[in-house]
Amino acid sequence: MSPELAFLQALNGISFGALLFILAAGLSLIFGMMDVVNLAHGAFYMLGAYIALSVVRTTGSFWVALVAVPLALGALGLVVEPLLLRRLRGRHLDQVLITVGVALVITDLIRLKPDWGAEVRTLPPPDALAGSIAILGNDYPVYRLFVIAFGVTLALSLAALHRRSRAGALIRAGVDDAQMLSALGVDTDRLFAVTYAIGAALAGLAGVVAAPVLGLQPGMDVEALVLSLIVVVVGGLGTLGGAQVGAALVGPADTFGKVFVPQFALFFIFAIMALVLLLRPSGLLGRIRVIR
Amino acid sequence: MSRIAGLRPRVGGLRPRAPGFVALGLGALALVTFPYWSRDWESSRYATTVLRDILVFAILALSLDLLMGYVGLPSLGHAAFFGAGAYAAAIASQRLETEALFVTLPAGVLVATLLALGIGLFAVRASGIFFLMLTLAFAQMVFSFAFQATDITGGSNGFAGVRRPELFGISFSAAEELYVLVAVSFLATAFVLWRITRSPYGRTLVAIRENERRMRALGYDTRAIKLSAFALAGALAGLAGALSAYSLRFVSANDAGIGTSITAFVMVLIGGAGTLAGPAVGAAVVILIERVLNSYIPFSQTVLGVVFVVFVLAARQGVVGAARTAWARARG
Repeated sequence: MSPELAFLQALNGISFGALLFILAAGLSLIFGMMDVVNLAHGAFYMLGAYIALSVVRTTGSFWVALVAVPLALGALGLVVEPLLLRRLRGRHLDQVLITVGVALVITDLIRLKPDWGAEVRTLPPPDALAGSIAILGNDYPVYRLFVIAFGVTLALSLAALHRRSRAGALIRAGVDDAQMLSALGVDTDRLFAVTYAIGAALAGLAGVVAAPVLGLQPGMDVEALVLSLIVVVVGGLGTLGGAQVGAALVGPADTFGKVFVPQFALFFIFAIMALVLLLRPSGLLGRIRVIR
Repeated sequence: MSRIAGLRPRVGGLRPRAPGFVALGLGALALVTFPYWSRDWESSRYATTVLRDILVFAILALSLDLLMGYVGLPSLGHAAFFGAGAYAAAIASQRLETEALFVTLPAGVLVATLLALGIGLFAVRASGIFFLMLTLAFAQMVFSFAFQATDITGGSNGFAGVRRPELFGISFSAAEELYVLVAVSFLATAFVLWRITRSPYGRTLVAIRENERRMRALGYDTRAIKLSAFALAGALAGLAGALSAYSLRFVSANDAGIGTSITAFVMVLIGGAGTLAGPAVGAAVVILIERVLNSYIPFSQTVLGVVFVVFVLAARQGVVGAARTAWARARG
């Protein structure tokens, strides 16, 4: 592989990693904070992508979708958490069953909605980012560079919020000891609902940003769910840094895996996950041990 | 994290006395001979197909219940072994150009067992929700292998034209005979699991679920015991997979995919984990909604999703658990 090509592939890998970060950050937040494995996360991502499709069709603007979709998914999260998940605290299997139920309903509705449907759809990138630019003598799509910039900006601002803001302090405290936080007079019910809404909004945001790159099709929900699970297991559960490191590792690994061993590309990232778990049972940056 | 909410020990629940045994035997006989005594019905063939598929999935759900209900290991990747068994039986039949049941069925079971040993080596080191995530991820690895290794598995097109088996001159190619094979396999699986869960080994599994640390302190190699249960469950899932390949004459990568894993998982939870009847009841509920309701209304998947939600909120112990509670209350 020539150095130029390797560089472009590295850009592809980083851009995929940026997508994975947006996707996995929400899952990690919900798990770390609420101890809920939200198997509807992939369905939220898918719903986000399809809502973006409709918003772009009606308003003609990708940027409106980029704002509207997270708000819509956040609102959905604010309904789902108090209604279904609140009473299931600590009951993991019930949480799994109920989030799978939610995911089934969402994907079925997407399938049945005539202008969303069961076929592959594409969402073009916004006009401003539609073309490609020359990098080292090759054409490279501008939109992918935008994805990198967007992902990095989001990671930095989330990290800043997480460390510096009051909401971030509450969330960190909730991850450490939600019961104590509640005893200190914080309304943890509200905090959990908001956390879940933020997680759902991030999944929706990932759906919008990913749609012009990965397209929209049935099964994208499962793919997204599994990839984000791998990212958080590799990076470490319950920390924002874990999602960052996991995405930074899994994105490029997947891309280069597809280049070097196209037949077994998917295999490759699972091998990495197994290796990380063997050497560091809590993930690269996590504090929760996954295996003993 | 050592105990998973929602599962309660239920050892020695079913203890049929003599009349019970007779009723059970008659019921089993009626089940196995269903396509013959229902022959005059208008929808006999359709009912036989649906019942056959229910029984195939009941075997899968029973095998998963050994992990979920008894050892307390909630696997969300059990379809990996189902798919492995299906592919192995189909490929063995194709490559060895044989229809012999005693070649293709053991091939399916063996490959599934070996795969379960390999994945279990990692997975049983985790517990609870982490076990769930690991099994899901590993199963997806098996799925992606099946999906991408086109020259072995047929890839995204699936593996078509699986030959139905024969045993010592008895052919299982007709729908009735194949149904009998599936029904007998189901009864055999249920019997084996019934014996196992009541054996000292079965009690050890329940004890590990309840307090693994104490069992370790007592000198049990809990990791090895959990691995053995994982492999056993994998073997039975492989059996179900091979039967599915014979039944449908087709293996799809989705057989090893997360959809199938989730299906088996909810069958166990809906029917009632830690019981033997539960997973079979769960299999019937889910297959009836997916297959039968689906031919009447377009949104059967939505109904299934709502059923999950309602079950979690209203009937936590599953159908069988709820029925037991009602029975106990009725008797005072």
